[in-house]
Amino acid sequence: MQLFFQQIVEGLASGAIYASLALALVLVYRATRVVNFAQGEMATFTAYLAWQLHEWGVPFVLSLIIVAPLSFVLGALVFRLAIRPVMTAPDHTIVVICIGLFVGFEAICLWIWGSDAYAFPRIFPDTAWTVGGIRFSAANLGVLGVLCVLALGLAAVFRFTRIGLAMRASAAEREKSPLVGIRVETMLMLGWGLATVFGFIAAVLIAPKLFLSPPMMVPVVIYALAAATLGGWDSPVGAIIGGLVVGVAESLGATFVGFIGSELKIAIPFIVMAIVLVLRPQGLFGKTAVMRA
Amino acid sequence: MMGSTHERPLLTAALVMVATVLAIVPLLFPSFLVYQLSIALTYAIAILGLNLLMGFNGQISVAQGVFFAVGAYATAIFATRFGLGPLATLPIAVAMSALIGFLVGIPALRMQGLPLAFVTLGLAVLVPPLALKLDWITKGATGISFAKPMPPSWFPGNQDTFLYEMCLVSAAICVWIARRLIGGDTGRTLRAVRDNAMIAESLGINLTAVRLAAFATSAAFAGFGGWCFALINGYVSPDSFQMTMSFNFLVGSIIGGITSIAGALIGALFITFVPDWASDINLALSGVIYGAALVVMMLLARDGVVGLARDAYARLRPTLFTNTSRKSSQVRAADLAPIKTQGRTS
Repeated sequence: MQLFFQQIVEGLASGAIYASLALALVLVYRATRVVNFAQGEMATFTAYLAWQLHEWGVPFVLSLIIVAPLSFVLGALVFRLAIRPVMTAPDHTIVVICIGLFVGFEAICLWIWGSDAYAFPRIFPDTAWTVGGIRFSAANLGVLGVLCVLALGLAAVFRFTRIGLAMRASAAEREKSPLVGIRVETMLMLGWGLATVFGFIAAVLIAPKLFLSPPMMVPVVIYALAAATLGGWDSPVGAIIGGLVVGVAESLGATFVGFIGSELKIAIPFIVMAIVLVLRPQGLFGKTAVMRA
Repeated sequence: MMGSTHERPLLTAALVMVATVLAIVPLLFPSFLVYQLSIALTYAIAILGLNLLMGFNGQISVAQGVFFAVGAYATAIFATRFGLGPLATLPIAVAMSALIGFLVGIPALRMQGLPLAFVTLGLAVLVPPLALKLDWITKGATGISFAKPMPPSWFPGNQDTFLYEMCLVSAAICVWIARRLIGGDTGRTLRAVRDNAMIAESLGINLTAVRLAAFATSAAFAGFGGWCFALINGYVSPDSFQMTMSFNFLVGSIIGGITSIAGALIGALFITFVPDWASDINLALSGVIYGAALVVMMLLARDGVVGLARDAYARLRPTLFTNTSRKSSQVRAADLAPIKTQGRTS
């Protein structure tokens, strides 16, 4: 039983990382109806930037503070150069663009930094507390804390600021928003930039665990995609809950279901997702689109 | 599409020419290139299935590599365990892929558009670990080797040539089947579901059934391709079926042109040779070049190579076929002119 609860704690911690990347995906999807497969690879790239700065002698926290706005610019640039010209194109065109970005960013990392895995500095201290036989490490609690801050921050921006309102408006009504003076394209660019920052945060959180290497984020983005599908693509709350559910399911499944083990644990989000899709296609928190014929 | 009477002989002539050139290829090229072309043909079959699904039914799948792998593994397993020959393993490979496609389709097709693309992507990721895990049947990382089929005594040429011609014939059969499917009522139903699901449904089409059938058929094509792939290599292993394979099929389909049969072949050549050339230019940069090529291609030519060709043809057409086309367009312009001006003045 102790193991069971311990695995739940571990699962929640990795789930929080999946959730922050899922938040990035949902942000992008809500703004531009694009499922950005390449989000994880872009995140890896930004994590490498931070690592490189640190290697050059910049204090770790400072390098994070420098790279966060850089990732924002990167996201905005990618939107501007690769996505905006094909916004009205059919879905499959966008999928190929995303695959191009996926392959491209991974290759850039491979080209610049090589295929060796590097240890990534930890943000959180290496301490832990034991309560009732269950170990709470500072890293796990820290990750959950970061997720809470991200979620509350995002909710506050969306709910209480003008810019958040404008972003919501341009996601919901792209044609009508300009009529009330919203610069839709700027808002979409903001959405992409913000998502890339979220991706960066997710990468920084998971890099100490997985070691920094070009394909580091591939499984993470898969979990995040599952989390977003689970929660419903138009719901940030859903993305967070979906991420946590996926994390816990992964951790429990890998420990307690003998056949799955650690090799097949990547299957777990899909099993969970297949069940949800059959019962509730729009996801747990998604809205069914009502169409007028 | 290109339906008018005086163009049909031209099209047939072109087809015959292409087929002849393809058939005598082994005489002209070194054997490694022949092998690569055989691989490209197996890819072309899988992409053809994807075109049916994506181009004609409007569903995006990143799982074509999965069904390709199922076909290849089914071939290898039945060849080694039960000693079945190639002709016996073919229906098994195709049926297994179609069945798996059907089973996967039931939950996956709850989604459409980009989310569906992702759900299928998940499957593609699962293949290598699953193939490793099920090692009692797939032999895990070692893979399964078996004897490639030998050419019959009447065949003039070596084994490589024989395998190439086998792929070519398989591809031709698949093209024929695909044309039959697209041409008739089936094709109309598929397109109706793609273009306006709501209207199609109100006309009595069962959307779920059609989408499932399209998904399973597309998977069956991939299984056919996988069968060829297993036979020309005489070996299957999890390494051959990484996620990138599914990506590549999708890329090939779209680069070639998703609503076209010729596009499948062009796309297959693209995914077989372009990554190779890119790594010839610069090994470290090859991925960057490939990725950039994809993005630029989509920005410049959204409908793929065949789309480009169609545009060029439409522009050239008046000069190629002066007599009928130009007259009809003149007449139409003359008819429309007064209406236009009336509309503007009133």
